[in-house]
Amino acid sequence: MDLLSNGTGLTAVVFLPLISALILTAIPKSQEFLIKGFALVSSIVTFFISALLLPQFDFSNADKLQLGNKISWIKSINSNYEIGIDGISLPLLILSTFITVLAIIYSIEHLPEPKSPKGFLALILVLETGMNGTFVALDLILFFVFFEIVLLPMYFMIGIWGDKTVRTVAGLKNQIETRLYASIKFFVFTLFGSAFMLLGFLGLYYRGGRTFSIPELIELGTNGAFTGTFAMLVFAVLFLGFAVKVPMWPLHTWLPDAHTAAPTVGSVLLAAILLKLGSYGFVRIAIPILPEQAKAWAPAIAILSAIGIIYGSLACLAQTDLKRLIAFSSVGHMGFVMLGIASLTPIGINAAMIGMVAHGVITGLLFFLSGSMAHTYHTRDMGRLGGNMKLLPKTGALLGFTAMASLGLPGLAGFWGEFMALLGAFNPLDGLNLTVFRGSMVAGAIGTVLTAGYLLWMLQRVNLGEPSEEWNEMELHDADGYELAAWIPLVILTILIGVFPKLIFGATNDAVVSLLSKAFGG
Amino acid sequence: MILDLILPRKSKYYVAAFALFGTLASLAPLVIQWATYSDPIYTFGNSFVVDKFSIILKGLFILITYLTFLLSINFIESDKFYQGEYYYLLLSSLLGALVVSSSRDLLTIFIGIELASTPMFLLSGWKKGDRKSNEGAIKFFLLGVLSASLILYGFSLIYGLTGQLVFADISAYLLANSLGSSPVLLLSSILVISGIGFKISVVPFHSWAPDTYEGAPLPITAYLSVSSKATGFVALIVLLTKVFESSGQSWGVILAIVAGATMTLGNLVALQQTNPVRLLAYSSISQAGFIIAPLAVSGITGNYQDGIFASVTYLIIYAFMNMGAFLSVHLFTNFTNSDNFYEWGGIAKHSPLTGVLTTIFFFSLAGIPPLGGWFAKFVVFRSLLSTGEIVGISLAIIGAINAVIALVYYARISKVIWMDELKNPEEEKTFEFQNPLKVVGVFTVLITFVAGIFPGIFSYLGEVSSIFFGN
Repeated sequence: MDLLSNGTGLTAVVFLPLISALILTAIPKSQEFLIKGFALVSSIVTFFISALLLPQFDFSNADKLQLGNKISWIKSINSNYEIGIDGISLPLLILSTFITVLAIIYSIEHLPEPKSPKGFLALILVLETGMNGTFVALDLILFFVFFEIVLLPMYFMIGIWGDKTVRTVAGLKNQIETRLYASIKFFVFTLFGSAFMLLGFLGLYYRGGRTFSIPELIELGTNGAFTGTFAMLVFAVLFLGFAVKVPMWPLHTWLPDAHTAAPTVGSVLLAAILLKLGSYGFVRIAIPILPEQAKAWAPAIAILSAIGIIYGSLACLAQTDLKRLIAFSSVGHMGFVMLGIASLTPIGINAAMIGMVAHGVITGLLFFLSGSMAHTYHTRDMGRLGGNMKLLPKTGALLGFTAMASLGLPGLAGFWGEFMALLGAFNPLDGLNLTVFRGSMVAGAIGTVLTAGYLLWMLQRVNLGEPSEEWNEMELHDADGYELAAWIPLVILTILIGVFPKLIFGATNDAVVSLLSKAFGG
Repeated sequence: MILDLILPRKSKYYVAAFALFGTLASLAPLVIQWATYSDPIYTFGNSFVVDKFSIILKGLFILITYLTFLLSINFIESDKFYQGEYYYLLLSSLLGALVVSSSRDLLTIFIGIELASTPMFLLSGWKKGDRKSNEGAIKFFLLGVLSASLILYGFSLIYGLTGQLVFADISAYLLANSLGSSPVLLLSSILVISGIGFKISVVPFHSWAPDTYEGAPLPITAYLSVSSKATGFVALIVLLTKVFESSGQSWGVILAIVAGATMTLGNLVALQQTNPVRLLAYSSISQAGFIIAPLAVSGITGNYQDGIFASVTYLIIYAFMNMGAFLSVHLFTNFTNSDNFYEWGGIAKHSPLTGVLTTIFFFSLAGIPPLGGWFAKFVVFRSLLSTGEIVGISLAIIGAINAVIALVYYARISKVIWMDELKNPEEEKTFEFQNPLKVVGVFTVLITFVAGIFPGIFSYLGEVSSIFFGN
């Protein structure tokens, strides 16, 4: 298995999906079975390669970047194809390859309108290349390119296969289809953030002796190479780039629209992986390279996160649309992740890491379920749903389980991220303003109560009660084999991570501790 | 030399094939020169030079002209136009562009600039019966003559000041008599910038471009927006850095303001367009802002090498992706017979291949990785921020905002062709994608991808611009 070290394995994980997508476009449209089969096989192979990296990965040195390589890429600007993984990126990389497999399994039987599986599956695979690439890139420019590659497939996925409901948008004269509005909004918001992020990268490049290498810049940054107004501004633009993606309040407004409009699989990938690109950016780039500035900005991040938590949960309480509710719940959950990161303590960032994975698994599953229900009932209006347990017992049971996981029930995956983030905020890094952080912690704690509130309320409206009369005439199909095949693994993961959080911490902890001790000493 | 371009005879039938072959054949001496290159060669009393810089640009001009010919073949054959003259005029324009990239004295460069643009006056009015075409051509002609006189006036001032024609002698004279900050020189540089500003259609000299582009035959529009512009840029780069080098502080600021205004205005107006050709016209105005921005900043900082590297890299990538964008507009306009792109709803379903090509070109223009446009934008930002000058930083911020604005209208085309409903779903119409056009498509798409994924190949341009500035 030596073949996989030296970056070959990681390169394969990144580019195999892209190559498969290209091959996919060459298969004639009529061969639908072949198209689906090929996409599935290639995603499974990618997942297997990423899983084969596990035994190669040296967990006793999880704080070191491993299995990587560095090849000259753009010589004239000293940007290299530099890749590698450590304990921080490993879980996210595996999550990404894994969720993609599930997404493709689900798509085999449940393609949104207008079908055309070729385009849809090819886009998923291109998307995977972007996501995997972002998690392994160790060069700012490479990171930027992968970070942006995800935009195009997601834009088309929302725009072509998205929700066709016509709605009125404040500020627009004419009514517009949700998918069209949401897709361009998603694109413009993210590009706005990343255009400035690129300027920030260039700033680091010039001050850092003309290198884009993340490890080298971390070395420089921890030795105090970036100071003054310059560094504060660079952190601000990096913040802008990553915070849009997370998304943090008040930059979150694209998220509910995108989630509501996206096809089921699009929402799943968006929630499970794409949002993590932002928070991963903070942990991988912003904090280690600019530790002092991170410290200065931390209280602001904590306050925004706290607002995000409260705002997200309150917004959830006001929703009638099931998918929109889950979308807003993402704002709240990512608020916990960011609160953990803002505390700049090992416990907080570990919380963020497990929170990211847990949110990916749980919210991914929630979007699967809600998408499937929307497909069955042809509505997402919670006022009309009800008695789901009686109509679709399997889906209903899973929905109940996932909602419990999402509200942070101990023993399930969601618990650790929330609980430890609050713990981290209670006792943040020395020198950070205690009042702000404790205040944020209290807000976060209130947020957990509200979260429980809206999720239980959602369950009450959707799952319990008597089914409305309008469903009597309709033939409703409960979850089929493909759906269960996509969902059960997520359920198992939720329980596993809940019971053995060490699955994640085992990888992340050393890396997080070493990152912080490098950045802040001690 | 490259001057041995074969001029086509007016034999109606073979002229197209002959022109194509001739253009391609003229690449051969370039390749040989590149392979055997050692030092810059000066001839005609230092007024004509062959160095790596000029070889690369010549290659660009020839390739673009070649692609224009390919675009034109079916167009010219389908209508009752004059074939022989068409190719002859285009080749003359090419000759002008080739001269510009090598010329190192005032007279030669003036002749080159005018030789490149005069045939375009005729070509842009090629659709004789069409009022828009006539209007565009007249506007273009009048402003073109005005710009020529401005350039000439600027040149005459320099000549009056220094009594020299050859660039090297001029800058030596200026240096020896420390005339770097002379007001006459500044006035002259302003005149030259204005004159060439017309050619490259930067704000406030841009008003002719959309009308002319709309009226001209589409291949000519593509040529105008790529090759003619490139000729102007090259002339501007050569003049500003070789002649007006010493007054860089002053023209740098002027150019920076022009660049910022050009990017912003071009973009904002492009947002309103419904005609794809006008949209591309305004988008190319905005792109021109990106191209001159690094040049402006390099004037202020004196770090010409970086600025030229960025400008030329942008120019080359822009040339091919814009050519591709015109190709897709050409295909769709022909197919739908509609020059309002909002009526193109869902036509990607008729030809997914063209749909994908269009998407690639337009998102590349928007600068989305991994398509070539991102690297072009990236080197521009890199050069703008290189010294931390306030002007550079401001331009970079304006550029970043503009990149986002531009995305809105570039994405709109993809939105319409992929996401909107088909107008007449029952209608069975064959999509015509002629072979010569396919060559253009494949060629431009390849360059767009290679430039985006392996931008390393542009690294040699850095080296080349250092040679350009080393002598």
